[in-house]
Parts: sequence; structure tokens; C-alpha cells
Amino acid sequence: MRELTYTAAAREGLDEEMARDATVFVVGEGIGQRGGNFNTTSGLYEKYGPMRLRDTPIVERGFVGMCTGAAMTGTRPVVDFMFLDFVLDAFGEMVNQTAKIQYMSSGRLPMPIVLRGCIGVGGAAATHHSGNYYPFFAHVPGWRVVLPTTPRDAKGLLKSAIRSDDPVLFLEHKLLLNAKGPVPDPESDELIPFGCAAIRREGSDVTVVALAAMVGRSLDAAEDVAGDGISVEVIDPRTVAPLDIDTILESVHKTGRLLIVDEDYAPAGIGAEIAAQAADLGFDDLDAPVRRLNGLHTPVPYSPPLEAHVVPNRERIAQAIRDLVAE
Amino acid sequence: MPRLGWTMEAGTVVEWLKRDGEPVAAGEAIFSVEADKGLTDVEALDDGILHIPADSPLGVEVPVGTTLAYIAPAGATLVSVEDSSGPVSPGGPTSEQNRPQSIDSAAPRGGGNGQFRISPRARRRAIELHVDVASLAGSGRSGRIIERDVVAAAARPAVPRPRAAPAVRKLADEAGVGLAQIAATGPAGRVTRSDVRQASHRQPPDGLTEPMGQVRRIVSQRMAEAARTVAPVTLTTEADATELVQVRARLKDELSGAVKPVPSITDLVVRLVALALLEQPDLNASLVDGAIQRHASVHVGIAVDTERGLLVPVVRDAHLKSIHAIAAEAARLIDEARRGVSATEDLSGGTFTVTNLGMFEIDAFTPIINLPESAILGIGRVVARPVVLDEEPEAIVIRKMMALSLTFDHRVVDGGPAARFLQRCKHSIERPFVSLTR
Repeated sequence: MRELTYTAAAREGLDEEMARDATVFVVGEGIGQRGGNFNTTSGLYEKYGPMRLRDTPIVERGFVGMCTGAAMTGTRPVVDFMFLDFVLDAFGEMVNQTAKIQYMSSGRLPMPIVLRGCIGVGGAAATHHSGNYYPFFAHVPGWRVVLPTTPRDAKGLLKSAIRSDDPVLFLEHKLLLNAKGPVPDPESDELIPFGCAAIRREGSDVTVVALAAMVGRSLDAAEDVAGDGISVEVIDPRTVAPLDIDTILESVHKTGRLLIVDEDYAPAGIGAEIAAQAADLGFDDLDAPVRRLNGLHTPVPYSPPLEAHVVPNRERIAQAIRDLVAE
Repeated sequence: MPRLGWTMEAGTVVEWLKRDGEPVAAGEAIFSVEADKGLTDVEALDDGILHIPADSPLGVEVPVGTTLAYIAPAGATLVSVEDSSGPVSPGGPTSEQNRPQSIDSAAPRGGGNGQFRISPRARRRAIELHVDVASLAGSGRSGRIIERDVVAAAARPAVPRPRAAPAVRKLADEAGVGLAQIAATGPAGRVTRSDVRQASHRQPPDGLTEPMGQVRRIVSQRMAEAARTVAPVTLTTEADATELVQVRARLKDELSGAVKPVPSITDLVVRLVALALLEQPDLNASLVDGAIQRHASVHVGIAVDTERGLLVPVVRDAHLKSIHAIAAEAARLIDEARRGVSATEDLSGGTFTVTNLGMFEIDAFTPIINLPESAILGIGRVVARPVVLDEEPEAIVIRKMMALSLTFDHRVVDGGPAARFLQRCKHSIERPFVSLTR
């Protein structure tokens, strides 16, 4: 299978969907001729022109509101935020309009909109460009929240997102953008469904559910502790709304131990939700307390050493696994 | 397991004074603990119903803080230990819920009331595998029983509880014979009375390993410490104890019909030694942290052979006490030591020790110093011998001779003072009236 970067794979998915469906269009700052701050649209302007790749002024609430209106008419807008942090300026529209239109119209109006942007801590992007935010939107009924971690998933999940009639938040961790990985040929038209976790490594002693960039680090840590005789199963939920709790519960049924590794803050986060569901639905499978390993509950620092300190690294994940196995 | 002394780290429940299910009142003794050379009755702190779990450690040493039993309020429902986490105590669950929770911390928490804990998964496995978890030791952090403990227990062949009537169990207990070790001849594999009697007459088989009792352990540690650190030298001599024996005979006549105890040879020697130590303070000294402490008072320890092992109760201020006072005190101390009820303060603080093996027809021996003391005097048997009187005219006479063995720590005291001290003891024993009337 050929190898593509995460960004190139997602761009290919966007290209395929734009070619397939003329109602798909992209809106954002610098996504036209410039090709997007993170090259999300490079080369597409030449192919599809200014009507379908539309640069906007810096008015997030305005263009999210307009795209919500456009989606109500049946077109399929893709709003590209560069850094997802700017989504906060459109929060009111997103929660009160985008998420609720289908309900308010008794399902008569669709909401096939995709909001995409980079999330996560890394590259000294500083505190205003390092947020994660997915728990906010996983909390609101209506939103689909997607966290691809491989090039293949980036493409397959973006294609599913564009074809979805529900609003989708498509979140790309900035440390994953240049990662290369196998991607099926365009002819395959692979769609990766929502709510379907991937088991990235099979194991029998402890289940690690990792989100976004933590998937790769958890796989590295699993390799480290394998030398101690600890067999780790690593699960990548891929979408946090909907959350594939069944795959997690099946794994915990096997291992009896659950660690959730999430770069985002612990309080009221995705790990809290997974832990609560595991304690509820998998109580009799648990041989130890459910444990979380999260980024520190603090604004993200600019200084690279401090920035590295606030998120779980390979060593801390390995230690958390050892500690949990010792419980 | 309460902490009964500053240095106590572990103890052994030797007996329950109240039965499981019996009501107890605050202040009532509920069990006896053997720890650090003393046997102490522990009182209930609250009124309630005593609940002793089946696996409560009896006769085995457990760390301070181990849960031995529960006192539940009268009328409260006792939840079986197997089902849950012990009896419901009003303080437990509530304080648990009120514990502040820090979300980021990965530190273990929860439980914490010392009660029975098991993971949900292990509980389910135990039901599937028919494992009685009440008797399992948990290998999880903080002692939680986890799945592997249950699986391991299921893999072990079950040891059936020996069957015996309650009266037979009691008999075996009293005889100190474990029921599991007795060959059962009764119907349905029951252990019978005669099985117990037969087993109790038999010697334990060769090579049987027994855990050390508390006293044996302490003796063992102290002896090893003494052997490792002390530079022991033993001097022996013989004293003519004829007059000492006469003194004792006269005291016995004097005291016939009185309740006061007759001073023993050991008591007399304790008195004489205490006086000699006042004259030879070099021997009444301790080596503590590299410094020699000379003691102004003489506290003489008396080595006592008990069922539990060697104990050394101490006659305090022996240099100030009359022979009758010493005899009365020694009688009390020895009796308490033999019954295992010595107070902790009676078993410590000696400055010199006397040990008497005369009753076993031992002459000279090499006693081991009772640290941190610096010397110990061994008393041998008193035996009539022909003795050459080297006065003019020389004559062979029959005298009652006593062997004396003094071991001293050459780190603390030299041979000269030690020899002078032993000579002083010898002379005092040979002329007891002089010493005893001072």
C-alpha cells in the first residue's frame, strides 16, 4: 500500500468528495489560493476554483452561521479553522443553531456541515493555539466529534464526515500532520464509520484507551513495558462522539484493568466519561481501579521544555501502566 | 492489634477472653496479647457485640494495626465478611465518602478502613471457581484480593477443615496439638478424643518447623547481638558456701509459719552481689553508644527459665533492700514471669544479672551477657566436698562448695577489676554474716 502523510491523505479525501459531490465547498481563512495554513487545501483551488474554496475575513461566528444556513439548504460546507482554538468565537452558533436545527425542524432540515481544525499541544504553539476542546462538543447533543490518528483514518473519517447529514467536528492533532502511513488507493473509496474504535495493539494484562497523539506514545510505552512481561492492549476510539464503549468493555473483560491516556485536561473530560461507563457497565470485570493519565490542568506554556512537561510522555505512560498492573 | 509499648511493632493474640457474638462493655478485657516479653490483656474501648472473623489471626504474630475483630453496636446487622467488607460501622463508609478527592492524582486511595477488600473481578471469579475468599491474602496494592489470588487459590488442592466435635477441638487446643496434624480414626474421618490423646503423647516428628515465639525471638536476637558485639571473658572460682547455707537454714527456721518467703541461695547472692557492685562500680556499667555509663544504683536481673523461654525480671535498687525485701520481690517477679504476666517495666532496666544453674547440678559455665550490661554472674551447684584447710594445722574438712562463673565484657572492663570483683563476691559468700549485717 502506498504511504501518504496524514495531511495529504485528508486532502485526498476532501478532493475525492469535492469531485464526487458538487455541493461540497470549503470556507476558511487562507484556504483558497494559499492552500491553507496547514496545506489542507493546497492544489484544490486550481482544480475547483474560488466558488468552492472561499476565503473569509476573520469572523468565525459569521462564517459558521452562514455555513450553518447553507447546510440547511442541503449543501455540504467544510469550514476550515486552521487552529481549532478559533472555534470558540463561534461557540454560540455551534451549540444553539448548528447542533439544534435538526431537532427544531423535526428532522426536516439536515445539517451536513464539517468543522475542521488542528488541536493539541506541540510545536511551541503557545496557549492560544494548543487547545483540545473535544469534551465540550462531545457533551452537546447533535455533534459528532472525530479524532483521526493515522493517515488512513484521516482520509476515511473525513470522507464519512463530509457525507454525514449531522454536524461533525473533525480534529487533527498538529503533531500527527506529517506522520506517514499506508493509505488505500483512491479507487477503494474507503469510508471509516463513526463509533468504531480501532485496537492498535492486542494485549491481555491492561487496556490503554488513548486519544489523538497519545495513541502513538501509548504504543511506544506498551513496547517498553512488554520487556517487563506486561501485555498491553491499546485502543484508539477514533471518534469520541459517538464513543465505541463496547470495544473498550470487551477489552476490559479480557484484561481487568483500564488506563485512559488523554493529553487533554482530566476534570470532566473524555477519560472521566469512559471511566464512568466502564465502572457502570464493566464493574465485575475490573480487577483494579480505573485510572487516568492526563495533561496537567493548566494553560499550555510556550516554553518548549515546559510544554513537553504538561503532557504525558512515553515514560510517564509506561510508569502509569506499571503502577496500574501493581494495583 | 494495639501498640502496647513504644517499640512494639507486632504481637500475637494468645487467647480470646470473650467469644464471638458475645456482648462486651467498654473496659472489659477481650483478648490477651503477647508482645515484647509481656502478656497483656486488651480491653474493649466501646460497648457492643464482639464479632471475631473466622480467619482472625490467633497464635500467629501480626503487625500492629491488624484488624483482629469488630465491635458492632448492639442491634446492628453484622454483614458476613465473605459477602462484603465486614460489619457496617457508622464511621467507616461516611468518612470514606467525605474524603477529599483530587482528580489528577494517580495515588492509590479508597478502602483505607482496614477492612476486607476484593476487586469486583476477583469476587466474580471466586464465585465461578467456588473459592472461599475469606481465607485469601490479597496481593494487590494495599492488600486487595485480585483475580490472580483467586485463580491461584483455585489451582491449589483444597485443604479440608479437619472434622471434630467441639469438645475434641477444645481438647486438642489445650494439648497444643493442631487438628490437621492428627490422624483421624473416627467415623467420617472425624478426629476423636483418643486420637488427640495419642497425638499429644507423641513427640513432634523430626524436622518439624515451628515458628519462634515472641520470647524465643527476642532471646535469639539479644543473644546474637551479644555474641556479635561483646568481648566476653569468663572467670571461674569456687566459694565456700557452708556459712551461706547455714544462714539460709536459720532464716528458714526463723520464718517457719510466716507468710514471708524464705530467701533462696539466689536471693542471698543477689544481696551480696549488689553490695559488692557498690564497691566495684566498674562491673555495674553499660556500654551505650560508645560511652560507658556507670550506674549509681544496682538493679539485679535474675534469669528465669519459663515455658515461653528465658526471661530476666529485675530487682530494682537491690543495694538498698534487705534480704527479706529482695526475697519477697524476687518471689513475685519469678512467679509473674513463669505465668507470663510480667509487667514490661519489670523486664528491663537491669545493670547486672545473676543466673543460677545449681539446681541442674551444673558447676561452672559461661553465661552470655545481657546487653547493655557488662557482666553476668553464674551460680553453680552447692555441693559438699573434702577441702584442705591451708591454715595451721592443715586439715581436710567437708565444706559446702559453690562454683562461681563471672563473664564480663572486656570492652568495658579489664580482667583486674573483674577478678577483684569475683574475689569480693567469693569472700562475701564465705562470710555472709559480715555482709548481710552491714
